Amino acid sequence: MTVRQQPATSPSRTSAARTERRGAGSGGRRPGPHRSGGSYALFGRLRYAYVSPALLLVAVLLYLPFVWTAWLSLTRYDGLGSPEFIGLDNYTRLFQDEALITSIRNTLLWVAGTTVLPVGLGLLVAVLSYDIKGGPWFRLPFLLPYAMSGAGLALVWGFILQPEGVANQALSFFGMPGGDMSFLNDGPENTFAMLAVWTWQQLGVNMLLFVVGLQSIPRAPIEAARIDGASGWRLFRHVLWPLMRPLTTVVVGLALVASLKTFDIVWVMTQGGPGRTSETLAVTMYRDVFVADEYGYGSAVAVLLTTVTGLASYAYMRRQIGKEDH
Amino acid sequence: MMPSMRLRVTALATGAAMLALASCSSGNDSGGSKSELKLYNDKGAWSQFFDQMGAQSKTEIGLGMKPVGYTDEPTYTAFIKASFRTKVKPDLFTWSTGGRLTEIVKQKQVADTTDIWQAAIKSGDLSADLAKYYTIDGKQYCVPLNTAYWGMFYNKKMFAKYKLKPPATWAELENLARTLKSKGETPFNHTTPTSLFSFVWFEQLLVGTNPDLYEKLGTGQASYTDPGVVDVMKRWKTMIDAGWFSNPGDKADPADHFKSGKAAMVSSGTWFNTSMTQRQLKLGEDYGFFFIPNVNPSLPKTSLVFESGPLCSLTKAPDPAASTKFLKWWVTPAAQEKWANSRGDVSGNPRVKIAQPELSKITKEAAGGEYRLMQRYFEAAPAPVLTAALDGLSGFTVKPDTYMKVLETIQKANEQYWKTQGN
Repeated sequence: MTVRQQPATSPSRTSAARTERRGAGSGGRRPGPHRSGGSYALFGRLRYAYVSPALLLVAVLLYLPFVWTAWLSLTRYDGLGSPEFIGLDNYTRLFQDEALITSIRNTLLWVAGTTVLPVGLGLLVAVLSYDIKGGPWFRLPFLLPYAMSGAGLALVWGFILQPEGVANQALSFFGMPGGDMSFLNDGPENTFAMLAVWTWQQLGVNMLLFVVGLQSIPRAPIEAARIDGASGWRLFRHVLWPLMRPLTTVVVGLALVASLKTFDIVWVMTQGGPGRTSETLAVTMYRDVFVADEYGYGSAVAVLLTTVTGLASYAYMRRQIGKEDH
Repeated sequence: MMPSMRLRVTALATGAAMLALASCSSGNDSGGSKSELKLYNDKGAWSQFFDQMGAQSKTEIGLGMKPVGYTDEPTYTAFIKASFRTKVKPDLFTWSTGGRLTEIVKQKQVADTTDIWQAAIKSGDLSADLAKYYTIDGKQYCVPLNTAYWGMFYNKKMFAKYKLKPPATWAELENLARTLKSKGETPFNHTTPTSLFSFVWFEQLLVGTNPDLYEKLGTGQASYTDPGVVDVMKRWKTMIDAGWFSNPGDKADPADHFKSGKAAMVSSGTWFNTSMTQRQLKLGEDYGFFFIPNVNPSLPKTSLVFESGPLCSLTKAPDPAASTKFLKWWVTPAAQEKWANSRGDVSGNPRVKIAQPELSKITKEAAGGEYRLMQRYFEAAPAPVLTAALDGLSGFTVKPDTYMKVLETIQKANEQYWKTQGN
């Protein structure tokens, strides 16, 4: 069974473009009195002045720090005095640093885990609870943890998962294995434990986004597929999933970026320890700059993290958009 | 069009005038004679004690003080370092002695306090012994904010229950631990991996075994893979394997651990009394304190770990005269008596009368000549080596088998640091 996707956005985009063209030319909507030739000339002269505050803000708050960080990554600097230029030494050191290799491994675990668990389970719950009686009540408990702040969540779960904490006691009480397990003391198990906590919180919001996506799908193709005999997995695989692709692209894209910059939950629960076993790239960057006072080396980690996030997002979006175009 | 242009010009002119006014206002704030100073510190839990000192200084010298407390060390350090390059400068700030003080003094950021020290040494308010921790290239910087001796806090009620008494030798301490363990108690508290204190037992075992080696480690003259250091790690591992320590992943505050009886003993500085006071526990009644005996009984003196944290002002402080006036007052007996007794701690001023008899005894014993004072590892180790050591030792506490790898990692940081220092 094949279902043709509706190019839902194309007509409106085209009509907007047409409107723009009409508005700009003399044959379109009649220009108002403020659009006289003199005002145009005035706006023409002052247009840079009008946009300059915004441009300045973007340049000072976004571009300048990035350029400054890139420059610092080529220096040795402890936050005092002047940075000393050392070329690419920090980058050479990056790949000989065992702690950084662990950090990259953990970041990859976060990327894989976040895509599979909060997003995958969110989709599962959304599909299972969609279109059933009492669906909203079934979904509500999954959404409640999202009300907690990241730091608060990490603090509470840090106490639950500590040795001889609530989790250990509960497992022992029910006679289950793991009663004496140290969830946060060994790597990479501590990363898995934190991923479970992250899933507990993030599942709900992903589920909500998918439910919104499901509700916005036109009923006609679904009904048509049902009349043709599609149901269950086949209905999901061949009708719902293709129609939800634009939303899935956004949800996975956001999860990808969020997982690459994972910081707060790790910092509050373990501070990247013990012995740097649970650090992610964002934690390593913070530690190197603010704890170890190695501003140059920490900046090199920041540049690496930015590059990886940028490339991963670009590659993913390009692939997804490419798929949509076809 | 013209009214609109006039409107724009008026708006721009108003904006510029407001900016000018704002800059004038900030200029007034930063200049002139101050009647109240802001004391930036990384001891957020001590705010009430700083407030009491501010009230007292206002009464005695007409200069008030308000604390600005941070609880996150990296944020605090970053703020102070950033203040060196910006106009937002603290009137007074806390720091640490050792390598961290040296690095900011070398940047010519810290105000010289040689005159205050010389006058205080002459009047007996400060000692020449203490001055060496504040001396860089022959000049003194900052004054002592606090002074503390490190030893063992023990649960008096638990000791009485099992008929135990403070040990005089290392063998006796080990016997204590064995007895407590056999009774189902946890003898020693272990710091959490996320705390700044993972060095404590490493330091204590090393100063009690080979104090010379400890001092050489701090100056880059010895290696962390030296057999003497390896032996210390092995001893620590044996103690962990024997089950003498609390679980290092426990996130409870050591003071709460101690109060609840989850650990019979906590190794800490005398400032731990402040935490005890805040929990309504009394020295001499609920808990006691003893100096930890040497592991190596043949050493001529018992090694006693000592720390002193500085209170500093900047060369470009908003009002240098007011900051200096406050620092001069800070070391006087009246100020120090209030500061030490309110927190239940010892003082850097030998003339201060410590109200708590047990604490007074500790101060006298420490100054009695039977002890060899050893600078705390936190101050003795250079900053990059300390960072590597804190990470490594926290990893060791949960995986004691990794001690050799931990030492090698610290040694790598040690070599790297001293190479940049020309050693």
